Amino acid sequence: MIVVEDLWKTFKLSRQQKRERGDGRGPSVIHAVAGISFTCQPGRIFSLLGPNGAGKTTALRLIATLLKPTKGSITVAGYDVRTQSQEVRRRLGFLTGTTKLYERLTPNELVRYYANLHGMERGAFDKRKEELFSILDMHDFANRRIGKLSSGMRQKVSIVRTMIHDPDILVFDEPTVGLDVITSKNIIELIRSCKEAGKTVIFSTHIMGEVSLLSDDLAIIYNGELRFKGTHEEFKQQMQTRSLEAEFIRLLEEPRK
Amino acid sequence: MKTTFTIFKKELIDSIRDRRTLMAMVVIPLVMFPLLISISSRVIMSHVKKAKEKTLEIGLLTNDNALDLREMLKGNDAVRLIEYITIEEGRSLVEQDSLDAFIVIDKGFDRDVAEQKQGKISMYYKSAEDRDIERDRVEEILEDYEEKLRSARFESLGLDEAIIQTVNLSKHNLASIKERVAGVIGGFLPYLFIIFCFTGSMYPAIDLAAGEKERGTLETLLTSPAGKFQILMGKFGVVVLTGILSAAISIVGLYIGIIQMKEIPAELLNSILGILEAESIVLLLTLLLPLTAFFAGILLSVSILAKSFKEAQSMLTPLMIVVIVPAFIGLMPGMELTPKTALIPILNVSLATKSIIAGNINGALLAEAYVSLFAIAGLSLYSCSRVFGNEKSVFREA
Repeated sequence: MIVVEDLWKTFKLSRQQKRERGDGRGPSVIHAVAGISFTCQPGRIFSLLGPNGAGKTTALRLIATLLKPTKGSITVAGYDVRTQSQEVRRRLGFLTGTTKLYERLTPNELVRYYANLHGMERGAFDKRKEELFSILDMHDFANRRIGKLSSGMRQKVSIVRTMIHDPDILVFDEPTVGLDVITSKNIIELIRSCKEAGKTVIFSTHIMGEVSLLSDDLAIIYNGELRFKGTHEEFKQQMQTRSLEAEFIRLLEEPRK
Repeated sequence: MKTTFTIFKKELIDSIRDRRTLMAMVVIPLVMFPLLISISSRVIMSHVKKAKEKTLEIGLLTNDNALDLREMLKGNDAVRLIEYITIEEGRSLVEQDSLDAFIVIDKGFDRDVAEQKQGKISMYYKSAEDRDIERDRVEEILEDYEEKLRSARFESLGLDEAIIQTVNLSKHNLASIKERVAGVIGGFLPYLFIIFCFTGSMYPAIDLAAGEKERGTLETLLTSPAGKFQILMGKFGVVVLTGILSAAISIVGLYIGIIQMKEIPAELLNSILGILEAESIVLLLTLLLPLTAFFAGILLSVSILAKSFKEAQSMLTPLMIVVIVPAFIGLMPGMELTPKTALIPILNVSLATKSIIAGNINGALLAEAYVSLFAIAGLSLYSCSRVFGNEKSVFREA
């Protein structure tokens, strides 16, 4: 389970960033995440929806302990991200659509590397690797350098890298961005299978189609603040427009109360 | 420790498979010394041989004096004499490099010599260097002529030539051949070792920090249970190792370069090879270890701050000058390891290496240099861990 409570992340702006945002006399800080709270339950998929720059990646990086919260708290599988970050990372699988792999290693070497970092025993690693390599049909290219693999093959390696330690919590940051239809489908299936295995899944996207395909719960984030939070059913019930896309835009444009 | 070793092992494999790192770490240090020694020795030898064997073109204006000198020059097979030219023509030919030298005998030369006075001879030559083989050869001929006249003068006066030698100075240089060789190449070698340590560390540092950040793999690594300091230490270890390996490989390259020199006398060759004895090399590497750690800390810090491989490269290249300057100062004559210079990083390595090669290193000063180097290496690692721990620098994106 992931519990996020009154989470804030504030970044100081450099002089150049201030200039880029206006005449340079604006605020010297930016709230990438501004007081958001939500809970992701095991066996359910939570979608974090928002346009580019809304704060999705920052929120997920905070959950994955890559960034430290300015204020508020996050617990992942009962562990605090601030004080027990290593325990959090032991239970976490993190995948983004833009993440690359070590091109000079082979899939075998790369997966073994991450398994070692997770402190996996040899026997458990061999069994888990065999299972994942078979499901994803990876044996043929397991010993080829990653730099020589196609994007589809690389994505399979990324999936195994994320899942090798069988994490309870999975964080997917725009996992299908820039991928072809077939590879995207594989990712969607992976997310669904994680849900079926009772894992806690949170994924960010700006594609409404993915939300309707996968989400049990969803939150819409814009300028660091949540504009909606609830189940997929609740979202549909409160809709004032005909389509999901139109409703998404309406919520973003709605003035803050 | 296990996690750090896991990261170290992976980073090492990754670096070894990188062509740029391999070039900077192995190929250049291994090939550079043999190439440098071979090319420079061949060029110098061929130049010396040519200058020694060439027929000297000497212009002569006797003014009907010193005819015996004219005969001497004419009888020398290695000289082609050009006569019957004016002073202006002779000078002009020297300036145009058509003559190696132009000799002008004073009009009163024979008379002055006969009256036991100094006969005047002018020699015109063109040389921008202190050592000039052609000029030396002409001077030797003139000195022989002078010697001949002097002997004749002493004989006519019935005197022994030794009468003018009031002091018989006997010089004895007690410096060993090793020390003399170290004096010549001892400054140059540490300069190169320091540069190799730096360049050998530079590419892995850029690749393992800025490169990893640019490729988007650092984010994934940071979501693993490995702590930031463990990740840093794994990378740091590889950067230090590649720097040290690069310097060690350059020593192998130097050895290959020296033994392939056929023209070098056996005694000198043994002295040069004596510099490369195990004890000196071990001492040298122990000095280079903290120095490379110092470099690694700086290189990784800057590289982590950079947004991309290219930016890291452009940020780190000027640093090379900061490394070269103190290493170069160590090359200057008179620079020695003192309580003050032993505290200055890079310069202390340069000067200590010079003393190690000469075999006259002072233990206390060496210890001082070690303390200074380990302190600066620790400081460099600490600052690097601060940069790596700062999420703003790690996630500074292109």
